[in-house]
Amino acid sequence: MSDNDSQQSEPATDGSGPGIVAPDDEVPSWRERKERTTGLSRLTYEYFERARREDQDLRQESSYVERDVLGFPAWPHETIRNLAISSFFIGMLLFLAATMPPTLEDAANPAVTPEIILPDWYLYWSFGLLKLGPINPELSILGGDKIMSDELYGVLANAVVFGAIAIVPFLNKGSARRPVEQPFWAAIGVGGVMFAFTTSVVAVQNLAPIDPNITFDLAFLLPLVAATITYAVLKTMREGYMYDLNRRYYRLRPPR
Amino acid sequence: MSLERKDEYDHNAWLKERDLSVVEKTYLMTLIWFDRRFRLVDYLEILENMYYKINLQMPKSHTEQYNLDNKFWYWYPLYALGSFSVIAYLVAALTGALLGFYYAPSTAGTPPESYALLTTIMADQNFGFMLRSIHRWSAQVMTAAVFLHMLRVYFTGAYKEPREVNWIIGVILLALTVGFGYTGYLLPWNQLAFWAGQIGVEMALAVPLVGEWAAQMVFGGFSLGQPTLQRMYILHVFVLPFVVTALIALHIGIVWMQGIAEPH
Ligand code: HEM
Repeated sequence: MSDNDSQQSEPATDGSGPGIVAPDDEVPSWRERKERTTGLSRLTYEYFERARREDQDLRQESSYVERDVLGFPAWPHETIRNLAISSFFIGMLLFLAATMPPTLEDAANPAVTPEIILPDWYLYWSFGLLKLGPINPELSILGGDKIMSDELYGVLANAVVFGAIAIVPFLNKGSARRPVEQPFWAAIGVGGVMFAFTTSVVAVQNLAPIDPNITFDLAFLLPLVAATITYAVLKTMREGYMYDLNRRYYRLRPPR
Repeated sequence: MSLERKDEYDHNAWLKERDLSVVEKTYLMTLIWFDRRFRLVDYLEILENMYYKINLQMPKSHTEQYNLDNKFWYWYPLYALGSFSVIAYLVAALTGALLGFYYAPSTAGTPPESYALLTTIMADQNFGFMLRSIHRWSAQVMTAAVFLHMLRVYFTGAYKEPREVNWIIGVILLALTVGFGYTGYLLPWNQLAFWAGQIGVEMALAVPLVGEWAAQMVFGGFSLGQPTLQRMYILHVFVLPFVVTALIALHIGIVWMQGIAEPH
């Protein structure tokens, strides 16, 4: 105390001074502070506490098998493998670039519409979807008019494709991973890939020596056929496969 | 509090009593000198921790742990497609920056200035032809790799809980990658570019309510011209690179956090 008094007679330049109180037993700990909060922060605190406990329980009861050998060494094995793969890949890029250089077409000329208008290949499917006009429904109520323009129909088709891809994880749940486990979803995937190809063909149909009507019908038929075949094949393979998988995996680790 | 060092921290005394060789002594003195200033000890601990996390105690993979069939490695090369997207993206970024030194978006003159600049790059610049070629091919390969990567994720069921968010980020990345390709396709301002742009404007205008606004926003009007090229340029070299780089970092960060979905 006396020590403090003598110090207080001098100007305090060290930042200490009245107002800063050393923590004593009365001062709440961080934990206590959090426990005392209300509303959303209280909820957050409670959830995190629960989650932490859950984690710990899971870890304690887990039959996690740890290796008693060293892992695959990052140096040199993994590093060299990565370097090799990357070099190969970049080498492939350079090879493509050197052997198949791009051309520079004629300069833009708004006055001349070229015979063939095409985006890059990876947009062919999207461009093909713009040509779905023939299946744009005509409503008899509207006297055979279409509810929307063919262009809008095409744009919407693009939006639908992206939307469908985006919601896949929310439609197909569960712990199955291999296509054989879920022939239906594998079939959807194969059908989708096929559809991307066939719509691409529709997009470039004026380059192909096939009747556009045939191409158009095939655009919808082929994906169905491909999906059906996939489904049939996987469904047939499934029984034997699932027997193994059940015996080895799902019995040990039943799906939630 | 006294500034005198307490005995147990008297490193000099400790050094003396250890009777070290010159090399050892120099090493320790240097180490101590730096440690006093930067507290290396803390960082060494982190490094050590990381080393053990990475190199030791690898858990068995699902296929090992449950003795599933050992043919799964056939599919492993497909797991490299995501990394291939990244590598191709980096190559495209590098060559794109170099191309950017010689390119400017302008439709003025006949032939349009941008087109003329591309002619210069291809005909007169040292290595310019190759540069453009590499840029194009890396873009094509990146797009292909992204599509195939998506298929690999789909067919290995790797999008399921808890990886839904990464799948959605992936869909956004797919759209942006295609957007990268499209905006780049317009930059040479040749016939293909012009008419691909025309289709873009028509697509935008077909949409009710927001269509005209979108056409003006993205294409700078209802017919193509200098504003269109300028916008495509800014999207291609400024907006998309930031957004896509950030999203890729996030995407791979999440993969790092969650781990690769294991086959079973
Ligand atoms: C610019 C584009 C993209 C880049 C650079 C990229 C990069 C990566 C990388 C490096 C991985 C690690 C695993 C692997 O390489 O297979 C990964 C995983 C993943 N990617 Fe992508 N990706 C891209 C686009 C996409 C797309 C389009 C989708 C799906 C719509 C997607 C969904 C996923 C998912 C769900 C994972 C986790 C898979 C797992 O854990 O096995 N990504 N991505």
